[in-house]
Parts: sequence; structure tokens; C-alpha cells
Amino acid sequence: MPDHTSNGMQCHEFDLLLSDALDGVLSGTGLDRLHAHARTCKTCGTLFEEAEAGRQWLKGLMEVEPPASLVPNILASTMGVDSQRLQVMTRAPQPRVSWWEHVQASYLEPMWAVVRQPRFAMSFGMAFFALSVGLTVAGVKPSDIRSVDLRPSAIKRTYYNTQARVIRYVDNVRPVLELQAALRTIKRNVNPAEPGPSKQQKERKNDTTQQPEQKQERNYSQSGEKLILAGAPLGSSVFDGSKLDPSNPDLPVVSVTTYRRIV
Amino acid sequence: MEDVQVVAMLVRRCMAGDAAAWEEIVQTYNRRIYNICYRFAGTADDAQDLTQEVFIKMYRTLSSYDQSKGAFVTWVTTITRNLLVDHFRKTKHDRMTDSIDTTASEHEDSQPLSEQIPDESAPPDARVRQREVSETVHQALGKLSPELRESVILRDLQDMDYKEIAAVLRVPEGTVKSRINRGRAELARLLQRTYRQVM
Repeated sequence: MPDHTSNGMQCHEFDLLLSDALDGVLSGTGLDRLHAHARTCKTCGTLFEEAEAGRQWLKGLMEVEPPASLVPNILASTMGVDSQRLQVMTRAPQPRVSWWEHVQASYLEPMWAVVRQPRFAMSFGMAFFALSVGLTVAGVKPSDIRSVDLRPSAIKRTYYNTQARVIRYVDNVRPVLELQAALRTIKRNVNPAEPGPSKQQKERKNDTTQQPEQKQERNYSQSGEKLILAGAPLGSSVFDGSKLDPSNPDLPVVSVTTYRRIV
Repeated sequence: MEDVQVVAMLVRRCMAGDAAAWEEIVQTYNRRIYNICYRFAGTADDAQDLTQEVFIKMYRTLSSYDQSKGAFVTWVTTITRNLLVDHFRKTKHDRMTDSIDTTASEHEDSQPLSEQIPDESAPPDARVRQREVSETVHQALGKLSPELRESVILRDLQDMDYKEIAAVLRVPEGTVKSRINRGRAELARLLQRTYRQVM
């Protein structure tokens, strides 16, 4: 700041008194001299205006609110404790929520959000359609379902009625079953040589190895077992049929089995 | 203002290991320290970290507080200011806040600091406008040099008297007054230029 005298006041003195003047603590002759200097000294006049404007700007700055976590953090970092009281104090007040609102927010709304998806809606629609068609085909009418008595006593009574009906049915059928068993015994006694199912068939029925059955020869003209001698003459005269001798013990014996197709 | 006897008692209890006394001190001064840090550092995150550091330092050096040398609030503000200066040096913001009107030395074609403040059109809502004005002033404050900024913050935002500010800054009262005048004037110049561009 240039330091020259104007109206009996130096710029340095003006600088010292300016803050007092802006704070309102300067009055009387001192204030008059200050204003007179500001009018004549361009530098100090500008400073006066700008300092006043800056002060007004700063007055508009509001105090900022520290974050709620600040005090607990300070206490935790200094004393290493986070007191319960402070936690309660800094916790934001929670609005009271009824149990129905809680259930709605926790369960129903997420479920409803899933159900509202088009693919689920389509699936539900198809399931409902299939169910209604099935009930219609089965002859079930909604009026029948409506007439069902679902009281505990009615359910109990239905249970006992059903049980009694089953017992009566078994009692009625028992003589018939006993008669059938007696007839089978008599028949077996009269004809004891009646062969049962062949052992081979039984074995085949019991075969659980999943292996294919032995391939049947498609020779319907032969039955039973028959030995055929297959000749393989030794030496050079292989194709000479005159040298074949069935009684030759050196020839190999091949067993060929044929089966009759059972129709 | 603080009741000297009450504060002295709190400090004594705290030094004796009374956790409740320390908690009361934290509750009483956290807002003030946070605001100084916020206006000086510029961001809420930095302000929170710095406030925490101030209280940690206070907690460790509480025994060094001498009631006869000055008020507790002056002692607290001095600790805050010293930490802010250290923080300022560490973050090397000095070169950005040398002057409001000069351009950055490395980039001759860069804009003046006054033009770096975003031009924000006035929205119809008065509250939104007031918030935007506050934000603009806050940004302009951040462009002042640290000496001018701390003087203005302590005087105009923390409402400390010149004697207390002089004690905190360890400079004569006349220097404090001069810095406050210059700080206010530079801030006004910066904001006038900003709003003239908006108009």
C-alpha cells in the first residue's frame, strides 16, 4: 500500500482504522477523517469499498453442520471407546413401522415384484388354464368344492366313514378270496403232474443283467440237438472229398444247437 | 463465550482421566473446529480428517494448556491453525493461492483464478440460489492466500477479536487488521469479477 498523507491521515493509519470502521467501533472525528481520506486517496477509497463488500459477502456464509459420525469418530480415536450414549444420539430417529407394513416391505412387495414379471405372469396363466381344463374334464364343479365341509368335526367324521367303508369292502370280498384259494388247492390236488413254467423261462425272467438274449437260429426245419462232424483233412489234399472218413477219430467234433421258435 | 472456570474444571477432570469431561469438550468444540477446517481446507472430507487430528493432538497435549496464558478457545484455535498450516504445506497448495488476479506461473495462457470459479446461472428457487452463492463465496475463499484466508476466517466466520487472532497467528494486531482488510478486498474483487461475467 502506498503510504502518503491525505487529509491529515496516512494510508498506513487508514489501513489500521479501516477494520474498526467496518466493525462499527470507530466513530466521531476518527471516522470523519477516515472517510475524508478515502474520498481523496483513490487506493484507500477502493480498499474501503472492496473491504466492505467482502465483509458483506462473508456475512452471508452460513455455518456448516459437521457430520453425525464426527464426534463418535473423535472419541473412538482418542479414548478408543464409542460410548453407547453417543451411538444412540447420533442414530437417526426411525419412524414407527407397524408389523403389517414390515411384512409388506419385507416379503409381499419383493414377491409381488417377481410375480409381476411377464414370464411369471404367463406361467401362472398357463397353469390356471391347465388346471381349469383338467377340472372340467374330470367333471369337478366349483359347486362341489364349495359344498365340502372343512370343519374339523366334519373332516373327522369323513375319515371314520371312509375307514368303515374300506373295512366293509374287505369283509365282503374275503369269502370270495377264500373260495378262490380253496378251488386252486383242489385243482392242484386233482392234477399234481401239471408242469410249472420251465426253468429256463424262470431264469430268463429273473435275468436282470440287461444282456441281450442268445440269438436264435432261424432254422425252423430242425429240432433238438444233433451232432455234425466237420471235416478238416490234414495235409495237402484238403479239397479231396474222397479222403473224408467219418470214423476218423482225429477230426474235431462241433456241437450245433437249434431252437424251436415258440409262437 | 466460554466460561473460564467451567472450562478449567473440564480440563482438570479430563486430565484426571474423566472420559465424560473429554466427551463434553469434544461436544462443545467440534462444530467450531470443523467449520474452521472446512473453510480453510475446502472439502468436507478433509475437514473431518483434520478435525479428528486436532482433537487427537488436543487429547495428547491437554496437559500443556496454561489457563494463565490465554483462553481455552484460543489454545484450541491455535492448535487447529497450526495443523491447518502443516496440512497446507503437505498438500502444496501454496503456489495455487499466491494471488487471486495473477495467473498460474507455469501456464501463461491459463485463466486467472477469478475466472476459474464456475459461472452458475441463478435458479428460480431462492434457497438453491443462496446455496449456490454460499458455494461461490466458499470457493473464492479457497483462492485467497493462506495468510489472508485464515485471518478472514477467524475474524468474519469465527467472530474472534483482533487480539485473539493475533495470539493465534503470532503476529501483531496491526498485521492482523491489515490482512483482514486485504483478504476482504481480494474476496470482493474476485466475486465482483465472477458475477460481472455471469451478468
